[in-house]
Amino acid sequence: MDTLVVEDLHKRYGEREVVKGISFSVKEGEIFGLIGPNGAGKTTTLRMISTLLRVTSGRIEVCGHDVMKESDEVRRRISYLPEDAGAYKDLTGRAYLQFMANFFANGDEAKAMVEKGIALSKLGDRIDSKVDTYSKGMMRRLLIARAIMPGPRFAIMDEVTSGLDVMNAYEIRDVIREIARQGVTVLISSHNMFEVDLLCDRIAMINNGELILEGVPSELKERFGVATVEEVFVKAVNG
Amino acid sequence: MSHLANITKKELRELLTPGSLIPVVMVAVIFMFMGSMIGGEVEKASAPVVIGIADADDGVYSDLSIGYIETFYETYYKVPVEDLPEYLITLDSSIYGNDQAILQEMRAKGVTTLLFFGPGFSEDIASKEQATIELYFSEVSTGAFGNMSSPAMTGIISYVNTSLSTELLEDGYGVPPEEVGAVLNPIGQTQPVTFINGVAYTGITPYEISSAMSSQSMSVPIMIMLIIVMIGSIVISSMGNEKENKTLETLLTLPVDRTTIVSGKLIASAMAGLIYGLIYMVGMYFYTDGLAAGGSMDLSKYGLSLGGLDWLIILVSMFLGIICALGMCMVLGAFAKNYKAAQTMTMPISMLAMVPMFVMIFTSYGDLPGILQGVIFAIPFSHPMMAMQNLMFGDMTLVAAGLVYMALFALAMIYITVRIYRSDILITGFTKEDFKRMFSMKGRRGAGRS
Repeated sequence: MDTLVVEDLHKRYGEREVVKGISFSVKEGEIFGLIGPNGAGKTTTLRMISTLLRVTSGRIEVCGHDVMKESDEVRRRISYLPEDAGAYKDLTGRAYLQFMANFFANGDEAKAMVEKGIALSKLGDRIDSKVDTYSKGMMRRLLIARAIMPGPRFAIMDEVTSGLDVMNAYEIRDVIREIARQGVTVLISSHNMFEVDLLCDRIAMINNGELILEGVPSELKERFGVATVEEVFVKAVNG
Repeated sequence: MSHLANITKKELRELLTPGSLIPVVMVAVIFMFMGSMIGGEVEKASAPVVIGIADADDGVYSDLSIGYIETFYETYYKVPVEDLPEYLITLDSSIYGNDQAILQEMRAKGVTTLLFFGPGFSEDIASKEQATIELYFSEVSTGAFGNMSSPAMTGIISYVNTSLSTELLEDGYGVPPEEVGAVLNPIGQTQPVTFINGVAYTGITPYEISSAMSSQSMSVPIMIMLIIVMIGSIVISSMGNEKENKTLETLLTLPVDRTTIVSGKLIASAMAGLIYGLIYMVGMYFYTDGLAAGGSMDLSKYGLSLGGLDWLIILVSMFLGIICALGMCMVLGAFAKNYKAAQTMTMPISMLAMVPMFVMIFTSYGDLPGILQGVIFAIPFSHPMMAMQNLMFGDMTLVAAGLVYMALFALAMIYITVRIYRSDILITGFTKEDFKRMFSMKGRRGAGRS
């Protein structure tokens, strides 16, 4: 079953069209990578899928629900992590997780969700420190924990390891693999082709608002006779 | 916990931090100190002045004049006879004409004001010429109430003049005692009558009323302006921060209604605004109380006081004013891309709060020309600023119209905010295309974001 179906998706800001009729689908439990250079339309696409932006034309279905007509149903099933996202600086990590958990559960269920988030964040004692004292890696671990703890069916992560050091990026990729193993469908966007090659079951390449290629990384590399996804992208763009 | 309570609680935790509360408490404490200081100074200024008296004349009329001064202290300042030497200090009169010696003598006797009767004072009066008293002051204070000895001297000399005139008219010019008053003051005046809310009050003038109300006229608009500017700045900055940290993006993808998010933010900000208002009010209470301790007029005996219902109306007016401000801030905050941009967005709110504040301090709504009255009425913050005075003077029409207008304005702002929260503007900002689309029919037709 497809968790996400995107059909002929367009997004226009006045006369400027930033997404030009892209279509792709993501299967349940899959890690799907949306790749492309900066400004290609990846974030705009993710924002439309996450109900943040309105769709100009086309259709997006998340777990069988239309994002425009049933946005509340969609929001119950997704977890979106924006690029360079932060948390409320005056809250501690624990209070932040508690605040977020309260939108999904009450009482003991919410407490259990927070405990799960604390374990996922691996912040130890620092979970009771104020968020504005966290390093970038700690912040990202907290936010990923926040995104995963409610047990979403579909996790959408924009440039999830952007700006992180090797160790933090490695750990976060591990976490993503783990949640996918547990059955969560993951859609990530990245301009880091090495990362998506390592992480994704399938990828879609976007350039200038258009989808230029879609497939399994190993098959695409084989088809273009190159060693890396980066080279696939260059060849696909240059025709 | 409901979503609304969850958002409200979180917003309150962010709004009521030590960093935001300390400046509010500081301002309130400053007002408290100002009130007690001004009250103390006013009290000090109305206390009897310690003066030095030197009599180089030693004649009939200088003796008589010193006697009148003693009478003035006994009757006006209510100083007991036995305490008079504490206030009226006799200085050495042999130093007449030597300024430096006079200064030294004043310092030695601890007086800052000296009345000197020079030689020939009595002789001049006896020969029907104008005599003079020399006045010396050894200190100049820059404080507002620090130089009260000079007007006090004018009062004392005026009293001595009148008393001496009475004496001279009776004894020197042979005017019968019953006619002396008419000769000295041929025109008298009855107690003034001022109509307040249609009722005639004797013994008070409009100037005295406005003077007595000046502290309220100043403090209420300033307090409301401070609350609006502070809460506006906090709300807009918080929205700028939310956008910069992308916490708003996260919030908007959670299973919570946009109206709940807007309501939670509004309720929390309004509660914070009222808490700030309460802290300011405590400061203002002590400020006005301090002034009253210094001898303010009790306006309640002229029907100019507020009852329980009036205070409730003032509170509702303040609450609605704050909601209007918050609604405007949330609309403006939606256009701020980050914290820095948000800071500049507070400017229109500050300006809108300052305009009615200055109008209320320097003039009144009723004194403005028609167009300006319209402008001031249209600014929602004007209404809580003028509610207290309108309620005192019984102008209920303006108070009621203000409440209705603010309620409608607040609803309009909430509606616009919810619309913005449901649109792309919150994420993408207000683009040139959005602007063009707003003013182009073609654009409007093509704007159908499905």
